[in-house]
Amino acid sequence: MSTALINTDDDQLEPTLQSILDQKTLRWIFVGGKGGVGKTTTSCSLAIQLAKVRRSVLLISTDPAHNLSDAFSQKFGKEARLVNGFTNLSAMEIDPNGSIQELMGQAEEGEGPAAGMGGMMQDLAFAIPGIDEAMSFAEVLKQVKSLSYETIIFDTAPTGHTLRFLQFPTVLEKALAKISQLSTQFGPMLNGLLGANGSLPNGANLNEMMEKLEGLRETISEVNTQFKDENLTTFVCVCIPEFLSLYETERMIQELASYGIDTHCIVVNQLLFPKAGSECEQCNARRKMQKKYLEQIEELYDEFNVVKMPLLVEEVRGKEKLEKFSEMLIHPYVPPAGGL
Amino acid sequence: MPSILLVVFVLQLAIHLVNTIGASTINSLLWVLYTRLLPSSSKASEEQTELKSQFMKVRKELNATSSQDEFAKWAKLRRQHDKLVEQLEKNKSSTDSTKTTFDSTVSTIRWIGTNGLRLFIQFWYSKQAMFWIPKGWVPYYAEWLLSFPRAPLGSVSVQAWGLACGAIVLLVSDAIVAIVSLAVGAGSQKAKEPMKVPSEKAAQGGTKKEL
Repeated sequence: MSTALINTDDDQLEPTLQSILDQKTLRWIFVGGKGGVGKTTTSCSLAIQLAKVRRSVLLISTDPAHNLSDAFSQKFGKEARLVNGFTNLSAMEIDPNGSIQELMGQAEEGEGPAAGMGGMMQDLAFAIPGIDEAMSFAEVLKQVKSLSYETIIFDTAPTGHTLRFLQFPTVLEKALAKISQLSTQFGPMLNGLLGANGSLPNGANLNEMMEKLEGLRETISEVNTQFKDENLTTFVCVCIPEFLSLYETERMIQELASYGIDTHCIVVNQLLFPKAGSECEQCNARRKMQKKYLEQIEELYDEFNVVKMPLLVEEVRGKEKLEKFSEMLIHPYVPPAGGL
Repeated sequence: MPSILLVVFVLQLAIHLVNTIGASTINSLLWVLYTRLLPSSSKASEEQTELKSQFMKVRKELNATSSQDEFAKWAKLRRQHDKLVEQLEKNKSSTDSTKTTFDSTVSTIRWIGTNGLRLFIQFWYSKQAMFWIPKGWVPYYAEWLLSFPRAPLGSVSVQAWGLACGAIVLLVSDAIVAIVSLAVGAGSQKAKEPMKVPSEKAAQGGTKKEL
């Protein structure tokens, strides 16, 4: 009886992503980590697993180097498209950097969120750091909302990028709040200068533009509150058992905590499990190193679901392989007996 | 009520002291007293000191821990470190704001207590004679100057008295400074001299030995 109580292995949370599948309220799931650790594979696998238990799932890649197309061997674009072989899993790829040019183009033609801003004020508004990405993000979210997917998975760009991406609602809200405040304070004076209809030199209207910015701010603050709700949003960290990856992961977890974004899952990818009596020197050495970092991970992240994924002998591409791989997110991989 | 003559003198002395010691020195001195004596603020400063020592300890430990070999320990220390830094900064900013208000309050009070009071007294007693000088001691123009601006002729006005007090305070303080510096200079020279002698002797001894 007493030995069972003292058993230290029991306080580790189960090493699967089952908790995410079970948490039906989740609407936004971010998958992030350092480059090359298997974010895309993990997010695709998670999407496949979620598609089994949810009505509809959308997988969005915000990584400028899009890999979804590679992973599913199918071309995806800016519009959500069903993944071949699934009825409730769609995918799309957006480029946070590229879409600003499109927004500008749209604005000139009189559509899109930036429409109605004169060239000068447009430049001014776009000079706010991160606004381009935030705007495209807001655009995507608007689209996504109207599409009524039950769960949306973001395959994010490598760490630094991701954090910036998640940060802007806050940054932008502050910047826009300042602008709105300025406009209410100096609006009357500006209007006096600009004439009764408040038209700017480029033929834009000051009040209209302020309304647009205010609208954008509201959208973004709504997104912000959604992301900070742990019932709606979670972040899955993907890492490999190596120092730099671990370091980045720790930094990311701390930063996410400071933004108030929930994270309780870590996927440790590319684990080597050499068979008993393996002659492969490199494999054994690497296994030893990975084991060291795995122990550290378990010690440090005892409140996380730490999922251990093995390194396979083939690239995980295509529906079947992804499905097979995704099984291991839910049913822990059992390493071959007798290994190191 | 002490005599107004004495009050003016003490006031001039106080102004002179404040000017020589320096307003900022007085402010910081008062700030130290304030933080030491007031229970709430002394507790806060104690906490701050403790936080700082804890921070230094964690920092030392963090530096001593290899991030590669003991990542878990290192990361935990790092978290602690970051938290402490944040707390320290928060405390510091709050203390700074308190100090700013304290400084401005103290400065105001000090000004009112010295220059303000002086102006008030000069205004209030401007028509009164501080004391009378016997007739014929000084010529008319000097009498007029002494009673300047509004005191009755033949008396010493509060302004004149204040100036005289100020001049005396300045003279005496200069004299004290000169005497002290002289004494200190002589003392240090005396202290230097016996140092030189043995060194010379030692040098001589050294040369003798060499010879």
